[in-house]
Amino acid sequence: ICTLPDPSSASFQKHEFFVDMTCEGCSNAVTRVLHRLGGVQFDIDLPNKKVCIDSEHNVDTLLETLKKTGKNASYLGEKSAQ
Amino acid sequence: TQVVVINIEGMTCNSCVQSIEGVISQKAGVKSIHVSLSNCNATIEYDPLQTCPEDLRSSVEDMGFDASLSE
Ligand SMILES: [Cu+2]
Ligand SMILES: [Cu+2]
Repeated sequence: ICTLPDPSSASFQKHEFFVDMTCEGCSNAVTRVLHRLGGVQFDIDLPNKKVCIDSEHNVDTLLETLKKTGKNASYLGEKSAQ
Repeated sequence: TQVVVINIEGMTCNSCVQSIEGVISQKAGVKSIHVSLSNCNATIEYDPLQTCPEDLRSSVEDMGFDASLSE
């Protein structure tokens, strides 16, 4: 019997992104596009222009979503969840 | 060419204005866009053969802002 990994028990990677946000209007826009995508948990660090995302989506999807805001965005790397 | 005014909620600074102008001006059929932070709206000149007000409105919304068509 072949057992598939249970997606609910998989530990999702935390990904860190740079997003060029300058104020709360910008971070609200980021919040909204991520909510619309769904399947994400995230923290926005406005002063450091960083968004940390915990998600089942891959990095490309997440980056595309962040770029929808029209802000500069780039992938910084994985962040190990403690 | 037609002109539409879209009300936009959630813009707080010039970088929001520039983001919206930058993205929407790249859309097919958009001839020009002027976003006003103080009026909370965007005035867009467009080619009705290539796009329509609802399409433009949803593009702004996709960027994470509340957008509605003004009457
Ligand atoms: Cu801002
Ligand atoms: Cu702004």
